[in-house]
Amino acid sequence: MIIRILLLLSLTILAGCGGYSLVKPEQQDVDGALSVQPGMEWNKVSTVNVEGKIQIWTLDGPVLNRPIFFEGVGDGEALFKPRSGPFGSAKQDEAPPVFRSNMNPFEVQELIQATVARNFQTTIVECRNLKSAQFVGGPGFRFDTKFTARDEVERKGVFVGTVRGGKLYGLWFFGAGSHYFDRYLPEFNRLIGSAKIAETAASAK
Amino acid sequence: MSYSRRQFGHGLCALTALALMRTAIGGDAPASWSKDFVQPGYKPMDSDEKGLWAIMEHAESEMKTSRFLVRDSEVNSYIHGIICRLSEQYCSDERSYVLRTPYFNASMAPNGMMQVWTGLLLRCRDEAQLAAILGHETGHYLRRHTLERWRDVRSKSSFSAFLGLGLAAAGVGYLGTAADLALVASIFAFSRDQEREADDIGLRLMANAGYAPSAAPEVWDQLLAEFKGSTAARDTSVLFATHPLPEERLATLKQRADELGGNSGERGKDAFRTKLASIRPMLVADELALRQYGRSEIIFDGLLVDASDDGLLWYAKGEIYRLRNGNGDADRALSAYARALRSGNAPAEVHRSIMLVELRVGAQERAKEAYEAYAKLRPDASDLEMLQALLPSTPGP
Repeated sequence: MIIRILLLLSLTILAGCGGYSLVKPEQQDVDGALSVQPGMEWNKVSTVNVEGKIQIWTLDGPVLNRPIFFEGVGDGEALFKPRSGPFGSAKQDEAPPVFRSNMNPFEVQELIQATVARNFQTTIVECRNLKSAQFVGGPGFRFDTKFTARDEVERKGVFVGTVRGGKLYGLWFFGAGSHYFDRYLPEFNRLIGSAKIAETAASAK
Repeated sequence: MSYSRRQFGHGLCALTALALMRTAIGGDAPASWSKDFVQPGYKPMDSDEKGLWAIMEHAESEMKTSRFLVRDSEVNSYIHGIICRLSEQYCSDERSYVLRTPYFNASMAPNGMMQVWTGLLLRCRDEAQLAAILGHETGHYLRRHTLERWRDVRSKSSFSAFLGLGLAAAGVGYLGTAADLALVASIFAFSRDQEREADDIGLRLMANAGYAPSAAPEVWDQLLAEFKGSTAARDTSVLFATHPLPEERLATLKQRADELGGNSGERGKDAFRTKLASIRPMLVADELALRQYGRSEIIFDGLLVDASDDGLLWYAKGEIYRLRNGNGDADRALSAYARALRSGNAPAEVHRSIMLVELRVGAQERAKEAYEAYAKLRPDASDLEMLQALLPSTPGP
């Protein structure tokens, strides 16, 4: 029983959830950094246990699927990491991998891979099919992700991003198995297509 | 009192001599080091033990389907073969599972299920070093340490507290549930006296099997160096939290290894490298993915001492510096990549890494050359298009 409790606790930490608020299918401001136009209702996840310049949404629960918005991660900053506190794991006390403003798309892909490996405590992470792609109205890149977390569930995903003004903007969507990923991929692509860097963020570059 | 190696060779006579010597040393050892071992083909006797085995059998059945299990048949046969060489009579009682976890550890469950983490395989420099760890774990099985520990802890608290002990020590580990469960009742739950006893049994098994006993203290020496020199000390402290103090353990191991023959015996360096060749790139990549640069540097420097012609290790060294990306790291990375190429057995990805570093330092022509070398060796690589796009003034495909 204690194993199950701890596993659920662990998944909750990884989910980073502390509450939800409704996201309506209308133009959305993402923490003043990005704006997107969802085509359906989403749930915004309150990230009490995870820190970083990110916002997390979900449809079926963050363990099953979630898009993560990267809101202009700056030089020397981690993409995300567990917030220190009673749930912090010992291994997470070590310095996390960080974004560097001179990173190229290949190096960003490596950073995502290392960040996933670290935060989901797994060795089974794969990023591939790195390609050029349009994002926030300009050149960017896109690659596929696949990882298996401690619950032994494989999660498929896509990351789309760009480096503007030395900061990383991006959207990463992943879901458990094919069902929770493939089903919402068209909606994710819609989010990607509608994404813009917010004027306030653009002027602060 | 000193003993020649001949006295500690193979066979019953040697076992008798070892038992006498152990008695002479004193301590808490049995009069005959193997008299309290389980019998080959052992099955649980009472309800306590049957219950513990049932938990472990459940964990084992889950582990068999784990995505973290390394299924390479040659690797698995090799490791199980070492276990059989160490404890031939128990060959069919012990089952080894290699789990893709980049930390130093192995563990033994009471039903003979042994976990070997890939971080251990990365760090061992030869077969004798791996045999030292496998022998130690076999020692836990032969003396039914888990059952002993379970009864001890249960008499003072509860089963859930026993489970909690394991999980707390593991820092809610790195593995799936099956592996966690197995860990709980295995290595993290052993007492320090049990660890000392397993050390002793492991050394004797090594010597009897013809391995150089000095490999055992070497492994701990290496781990201690990593522990002391690393910023990622907490990773290894999980191990040291429940094992005897490293310095004390090391001194005892060295003394006992010398008594049992020291460096006389087989090392199995070439076999170790050959048999694990198929998974070595994965072991290296998993270590690098942790981005614990200081610790990785110690590990790879240590491995290079015995394998200065290993292109994979030089590539790994270069990757540390490329990924760390600090002052002077570009030069360090390029230097290591050059060594990797000179070895003649570097992975093709070394060219891709050279390209990335050359781009960083603005050497575009050299970056282009490296890209072309990579594209030639990996024409089907999915990242070629993007890599090519990184090269300035290169026409698109």
